[in-house]
Amino acid sequence: MSSKRISKELRDIERDPPTSCSAGPVGDDLYHWQASIMGPPDSPYAGGVFFLTIHFPTDYPFKPPKIAFTTKIYHPNINANGNICLDILKDQWSPALTLSKVLLSICSLLTDANPDDPLVPEIANIYKTDRPKYEATAREWTKKYAV
Amino acid sequence: MGPTKIKQKRSTSTTNEYLDSITTPSKPDNSCLISPNGKAKDSTSLDNVGDAQVSDESEFEIEDLLSSSDEFVYDEDGIDDDAQVMLSHPIEEKEQKHQKEGNMPDLDYTVMTMQDIFENMLRRVDHLQPIFNIPREDILLLMQHYDWNEERLLENWTEKMDELLVEIGVTQDTGSTPHVSVATNETTPQGKTTESSKRGVKFRENFTCLICCEEKNTETFSLECGHEFCIDCYRHYIEDKLHSGNIITCMNCSLALKNYDIDNVMGHESSKKLMASSIKSFIQSHNKNYKWCPYADCGCIIHLRDTSTLAEYTRLHYSPFVKCNNDHRFCFSCGFEVHAPADCNVTNAWIKKARKESENLNWVVSHTKECPKCGANIEKDGGCNHMKCFGCKYEFCWICDGEWAPHGKDYYQCVMYNNEDNPKKSRDANLAKYMKKYTFYYRIFNEHELSAKLDWKLGQTIESKVRELQEQMDISWIEGQFLPDSIRILNESRTALKWSFPVSYYSDQSHNLTKIFVDNQSLLSKAVEDLSELLQIKDPIEIMRRKADFYNMSGFVENRKFALMECGRELLCRGICKPMD
Repeated sequence: MSSKRISKELRDIERDPPTSCSAGPVGDDLYHWQASIMGPPDSPYAGGVFFLTIHFPTDYPFKPPKIAFTTKIYHPNINANGNICLDILKDQWSPALTLSKVLLSICSLLTDANPDDPLVPEIANIYKTDRPKYEATAREWTKKYAV
Repeated sequence: MGPTKIKQKRSTSTTNEYLDSITTPSKPDNSCLISPNGKAKDSTSLDNVGDAQVSDESEFEIEDLLSSSDEFVYDEDGIDDDAQVMLSHPIEEKEQKHQKEGNMPDLDYTVMTMQDIFENMLRRVDHLQPIFNIPREDILLLMQHYDWNEERLLENWTEKMDELLVEIGVTQDTGSTPHVSVATNETTPQGKTTESSKRGVKFRENFTCLICCEEKNTETFSLECGHEFCIDCYRHYIEDKLHSGNIITCMNCSLALKNYDIDNVMGHESSKKLMASSIKSFIQSHNKNYKWCPYADCGCIIHLRDTSTLAEYTRLHYSPFVKCNNDHRFCFSCGFEVHAPADCNVTNAWIKKARKESENLNWVVSHTKECPKCGANIEKDGGCNHMKCFGCKYEFCWICDGEWAPHGKDYYQCVMYNNEDNPKKSRDANLAKYMKKYTFYYRIFNEHELSAKLDWKLGQTIESKVRELQEQMDISWIEGQFLPDSIRILNESRTALKWSFPVSYYSDQSHNLTKIFVDNQSLLSKAVEDLSELLQIKDPIEIMRRKADFYNMSGFVENRKFALMECGRELLCRGICKPMD
């Protein structure tokens, strides 16, 4: 059942790709995808391309996909392993959500971080207390790892 | 008179009365004797429910709605009174012991089941219905959302009832679009339905479900929002959510499914499962007042309304032992079996120590943390440090164990990982030092545990033994009760003996009182073994011939147990026994 749904999502993404991201299976495995997100222009990640790895669980869409950044990124809600702290990837997941919606949510997370529920407290601290410093570091990391 | 007896509630019966009560079945018996069906009833203390003090926790008081017929109230520490007045107890001695025990507060508790609690909640809903003036199912949703906390619900209700109904998904927010607008019906031509017939299960031909992406002739379900999906997907979705106890919403928006929707989709009463999960989480979050019976497969819940008395128990090194409807006795404070003469501290230290030895639990210690509020073990399987206990819903920080709420604003005082867990090394050294001594005590402890298990098995067959006596020796049922009484005393004394070893392990060995305690241990050991031997007799004629021996021996064991327990308590009160890691 999940393969039909994933195939459908793949078709939809190919037919009508989201503006700032792309996604597709790695090799023949329909359950393992790779995605890329362009850094939003109004964020310190602008100009960078960030890669993510996606694993669909077998009971997708009743369980959320597992998504992690493979490109290093300086962000309060994304840690060094690329894990993302995003509610819709956890308890707020709904079977009616799709991967492209999730990717768009990740894009907006890049624009608007959520420092009140951080995964990396140090970065969240800087984000709140010294915004220019945070932006400079994020830009620097983007230049270094994502361009 | 049991050594852990806190306060004599009922009239003291003399030895003669006791004999009467066991020989004349017709005599009214208001004590807590075990009745033939194995349930202990105590109708005399039901009237205490009303004057129990309201607990310090602002919890949902449901007892005032309880009808006295569906509950048992115990007003004692779990020890059966009259059954313990043995031939060897003169009345003066009993009174003397009573005085020695001081003024312990009563432990007023009720034994309930999840069904009882849920029914009380339903009665609450009935009470709220005239105030809210919305359907009962909707109030049930509100109550579920507020974790059955009526006061908080009422407070928020008066402030903003319309927003509340939308927020919880009782009614649809007509002003704005659904929060997730992915799977709108525009791609499914079949999705267009008339407003009136939206809610419920329907049959459709060639329906394309946006969840599974299959096109088939199928039943579908949707709420007023019109987000229609096939019944198989809805079933899968609901099944996954039943255990959480949270409100189940439409797969595509925040409109809530009511219990009848759930039953309608699932085809059977699955909403009961959801309500049970919700009640479970209510019990978890009120775990100061509610305790599950720790025995396997026992569904009893002990509700202690006034927890302020517990401090007094702790101060006097007593333990608040309770007994459920299935005669399981356990400590309300720590949830372990009856562990006198050890108090909860000694018990916890001892159990922790025993656990440290086990590989399995080493993993738990190294990979999990106890929820700072309810003590449930939590494994962190990724994600951020904002933890929410599945059980009691407490939100805390994984790094500092502190409450989460201040973290959002005040910033991270807890950025440094807590290194104080490092004394593990020195602990290991200590462990090696005490290992020899520990192994010695643990071996004895275990042996008594094994014996206790065997005795317990013997106890399981005792009813048939009594029946055998009745048939072969032509005696009444009540006359044969000395056998189960002896077994019970044997079991209790073995347990007391078992738990006396942790006490002596943690006691200052050089102190005189410890030596007296050890003497008491060996006296009880001897008495227990004698009684155990007596209970091995199988021949009914021989059993009846030695009936007096049964009385005398169990009375003696009871006395020795009491002496050991009091001695142990004194060790604790005087600080000679100090549990340490």
